[in-house]
Amino acid sequence: MTEILRVEGLAKMFGGLCAVSDVSFNLNHKEIVGLIGPNGAGKTTLINLISGAIQPTRGRILFNGRDISKAKAHEVNNLGIARTFQVVRIFGKLTVLENVLAGLVDRRSKGPWHLAKDAIFGPAGALVEDREACRRAEELLEFVGISRYRKELAENLPYALTKRLEIARAMATAPKLLLLDEPSSGLNPAELMGQIALINEINRRDVSILIIEHVMKVIMDISHRLIVLDYGEKIAEGVPKEVCSNPKVIDAYLGGGANAAH
Amino acid sequence: MNKYTRKWLFRVLVLAVLALLPQVIQARYFLHLVVMAGIFTILTLSWNLLAGYTGLLNLGHAAFYGIGAYTSSLLAMLLGISPWIGLFAGGLTAAFFGFLLGFPALRLSGPYLAITTIGFAEILRMVAINWVDLTRGSLGLSGIPLLTPIRLGALNIKFYFERDYYYVVLAAVLVTLFCVRRLTQSEFGVSLQALRDDELGAQSVGINTARYKIAVFTISAFFAGFAGALFAHYIRLVSPEMMALHTTFDTLTMAMIGGLGTMAGPILGAVVITFLSEWLRYVEDLFKVDIRLVIYGLMLILTILFMREGIAGLLRELANKLESSRLGRKKESEP
Repeated sequence: MTEILRVEGLAKMFGGLCAVSDVSFNLNHKEIVGLIGPNGAGKTTLINLISGAIQPTRGRILFNGRDISKAKAHEVNNLGIARTFQVVRIFGKLTVLENVLAGLVDRRSKGPWHLAKDAIFGPAGALVEDREACRRAEELLEFVGISRYRKELAENLPYALTKRLEIARAMATAPKLLLLDEPSSGLNPAELMGQIALINEINRRDVSILIIEHVMKVIMDISHRLIVLDYGEKIAEGVPKEVCSNPKVIDAYLGGGANAAH
Repeated sequence: MNKYTRKWLFRVLVLAVLALLPQVIQARYFLHLVVMAGIFTILTLSWNLLAGYTGLLNLGHAAFYGIGAYTSSLLAMLLGISPWIGLFAGGLTAAFFGFLLGFPALRLSGPYLAITTIGFAEILRMVAINWVDLTRGSLGLSGIPLLTPIRLGALNIKFYFERDYYYVVLAAVLVTLFCVRRLTQSEFGVSLQALRDDELGAQSVGINTARYKIAVFTISAFFAGFAGALFAHYIRLVSPEMMALHTTFDTLTMAMIGGLGTMAGPILGAVVITFLSEWLRYVEDLFKVDIRLVIYGLMLILTILFMREGIAGLLRELANKLESSRLGRKKESEP
């Protein structure tokens, strides 16, 4: 198995607070790794660090052997890492289709000036009339199952579907690694099953996944490997069954007393 | 007739009406107001690109307008450069300042950006007032040359009357409209709107938001500067007052009432406000009360409260209702 992501001694301080301290792990091609831990354990901070939304205090992040610990969010995405957010960050005043189109633009080779020039002088000025891009966007909406809302403003979508839209938008950037921050929060049981199927399908398309999830059913079903964080530190790592019977993990989730009683 | 043909027919019709307008209505005062509305349309379209589509509340837009006006006027008066070249030189100089102002915009948003841009415009106004040797201070520049005649074979087109300027401004409005429309409906425009709606979200799909902000500031300033230069060679008088906050406020009022972040909004707003303000001037003279700004203020408040997308949004809603009732009737008539 080839390694795609490697995190070495990663630490992030917010003032005096250590949100992530000395975390190291790796992620292989086509692997699904689950990231769990109690509230405030530093899971989202870790994803923010990898995606470049914030910069680490110490440590390194290597993506395909390349150091990306100083890279900005848009650079990280251009290199092939896409993400979703715990609290959705869709483009509310754009249509569902346009949200995906925003992700489809080839930003590795085209900057704003290039796009502006194409817009004014190019033959196909209007993106909405660009059949090829629209077709690919439709495909992605179909893939996540919300294509019938394509013309709706994204802010009018029900909550569960905005989560799907975020996934479609992330997939539009053709990532090799997808970071999912609680994709199942707020979903009902039926929606949950759909979400599991969707994540597995994404994985089958050669995308490696790092996923934060509180819903145990989801994380146990789909993760090949689990990493457990507590107070910013990695306390366990391994296949799901193993990790769940790890006394340290039980401690972290239920508190010290529970283990003693056990 | 399908939707596409109807759209083009509508466009051709509007163009024909606009082309014939000065032949039908020859009142110079009326044409003057239309020319002014046209110049303000360009200014408002450019402001809308920043505030409406990218969410950058620039309250120093009047500075770009003034820079364009002063640049083109001075080039013509001091160096004898053709006003036709001056229009573009004014736009490019404003664009350069827009590029510079784009940098603080990277770190600032909302009220902080608004205040910084007000400061920017005030500084430039002060420069224009105090650099008396170049700008003649608060007196402003007067006697700015008219647009020079164009020779087309045997035809010598002069630019003297409102009617002549009408066609120049019409062409400028159409070109600006074309550019702004293309920009906003392209991948470029989708990126701007994405960063407006959620900056971090935009970065997560690979949008280099910093570079987009600088680009849109530059492009917007170009059109504002162009409008300013056009104004200078038409009115033939520019003063530091052009760069005062009230010019930006007029622009903002036009954009808001017309419809922020819409394509038709700036045009509707500029026309309505230009004509309304002339009519109100007449009312003011009649009743001896200063009522213009009161009415603007009230209109703004009502727009924000009851029709966020301004006149453009209102018209669109009406059109949708008509369309759906038409479809409804069609369905009923089918057995």
